[in-house]
Amino acid sequence: MPLVLRGVMQAPVTPLKEDFSLDLPTLEKAADFHVRTGATGITWPYHKSESLNMTIAERKAGAEAVIKVVAGRVPVAIHVSALAVSDSLELARHAQKAGADCVVAITPYFWNPSPQAIYDFFVRLGTTIDLPFLAYNSPGYLSGVEITGELLARLIDRLPNLIGVKEASFNSEKFLELSRVALAMRPDFAMIAGVEYLLPSIPLGGKGSYSSAGAICPNLVLRLYESCANRDWAMARECQYKISRLWMIFRDQYPSSLKGGMVMMGRPVGPTRPPLPTATRERQDYIRGQLEEMGILETEPHGW
Amino acid sequence: MTTFKPGLVHTPVTPFLPDERIDFDTFAKLIAFHLKNGAESLALPMHPGESVSLNDDERRELLEFALARVGGCVPVIAHVSQSGTGVAAGLARHAARAGAAAVVAATPYYWTPPAGMLLEHFTQIGREAGIPFFVYNSPQEMGGVKVTTDLALKLIGRLDNFAGVVDASLDWQFMIEVLSSAQRVRPDFQLLTGSEYMISAGAIGAAGMFSSLSGIAPGAVRRLWDLCGKEEYEAARPLQEALAALRQAVKPWGVAGLKGGMRCLNRECGQPRPPLDPLGAAEQEKVAAGIGAIAALRGEPRGW
Repeated sequence: MPLVLRGVMQAPVTPLKEDFSLDLPTLEKAADFHVRTGATGITWPYHKSESLNMTIAERKAGAEAVIKVVAGRVPVAIHVSALAVSDSLELARHAQKAGADCVVAITPYFWNPSPQAIYDFFVRLGTTIDLPFLAYNSPGYLSGVEITGELLARLIDRLPNLIGVKEASFNSEKFLELSRVALAMRPDFAMIAGVEYLLPSIPLGGKGSYSSAGAICPNLVLRLYESCANRDWAMARECQYKISRLWMIFRDQYPSSLKGGMVMMGRPVGPTRPPLPTATRERQDYIRGQLEEMGILETEPHGW
Repeated sequence: MTTFKPGLVHTPVTPFLPDERIDFDTFAKLIAFHLKNGAESLALPMHPGESVSLNDDERRELLEFALARVGGCVPVIAHVSQSGTGVAAGLARHAARAGAAAVVAATPYYWTPPAGMLLEHFTQIGREAGIPFFVYNSPQEMGGVKVTTDLALKLIGRLDNFAGVVDASLDWQFMIEVLSSAQRVRPDFQLLTGSEYMISAGAIGAAGMFSSLSGIAPGAVRRLWDLCGKEEYEAARPLQEALAALRQAVKPWGVAGLKGGMRCLNRECGQPRPPLDPLGAAEQEKVAAGIGAIAALRGEPRGW
């Protein structure tokens, strides 16, 4: 059966021990928590999971752990973006062998590649594996390097296993340039917002999102998706405003503050690897105050 | 201060004669055209009206001419952006005396002032205006200088007549943050979208839309506006996609492309002033082909 992505998919952070080593048992708890609280898919390790601060061996070990604990309850995608193209391809092959359902890759880092180079990269990735994959568009973080509508059309035409885009421009024009091209070619193409900006993207043909807040307030995230799906725009606005407020807290030095907030929800996941800072006690208290003000401490699950 | 709701705001081009003088005869026809084709307000001269290529005397004359032709049928918003705070404030004072319903100003041209000076810039313009005052956020056009949520909140504290933000960034993160934060302290604070990406803006809670494409396709613009007003986003999507396609068809040539698009509908407004390049014959054909390919725009009015 073809893989259909929809709803709010979650990406666990990477729990670390105090010595910054990988805490695989807690990673398994985190993935399991997301599945039990409504995630329609799991992807690991996104930037939120400090992907680029891990070795390739650590990424493989974590991928295996996540695939094992999710155990087919929802689809698992592995994020394979790495600085070197050869590492991305290696991670993609590993994901397939380890039993992932899908892989995700961003446009190549650092080099400001040309549209043709981006095309070549995705073709190479997509033909290296038999799995479905998502192309990840994030011009804000990559000096404006982006997947344009024209490029996406060429990729969809060339790659039957390109099933969607993780779209993280959070910009009406950019999202629509991709969605109108893709949906005209493949009506079931999955336009997935990078974090839960569902209110502005679902009416443009978006199928769902990834999530920044799911580790803090999964109930609120679900309510946002359901109100968008049910066209209850007033309720959707109320939820989206709250979640956007949280994103403003988490966005800077992501995922330091998110990890700090998880402590307040009884789900500690340890420090954040340098060069990102670890949320201080003061920062955690500030986040606690914000969560309290938004009514999240009382309405969302504590602990694992 | 009484709430002024601009609603659907058409932003006319400025027609020029071959010798580069303002073509007031055609401008009169253009104003009449916008009034009979769905405008709820006019804003002029915005960047599509080549404000930056008009001298201050011309801007005043153009505004007075427009106010006389409109004759109170719809409100007119005066665009007063300038590099110097004093120069912009002078235009704002003139606009209020001349009978404009509101004033809109972007961050200053060329300079990249610190946050405190940006606040001072807008405060002085708003004070001189004394009528509803909107700030225009267009970081892509303004060297990356942004209107921030913090700036908007401080302007609310300083100016009773600060009415809202016209957003051309199309950035969902900013749009939601500024609207939800500002409405907590000023419930009638308005977010208007600076271009025709109304679906996402409407879902977010925007109360208005600036439209330059109304010079080409006022019918589609109005239908999109009306459907979004009823929150019928699914029905609005084909129109949204058609207007996105239209934007992309004229965008490579900027104002010349916009005027070229109007030329396709038999509304000749001349070429833009230097330093913008005129649209050559080959480019005009490309614009015509681009517009001709958009089936949803075939019923748009031709001529005046």
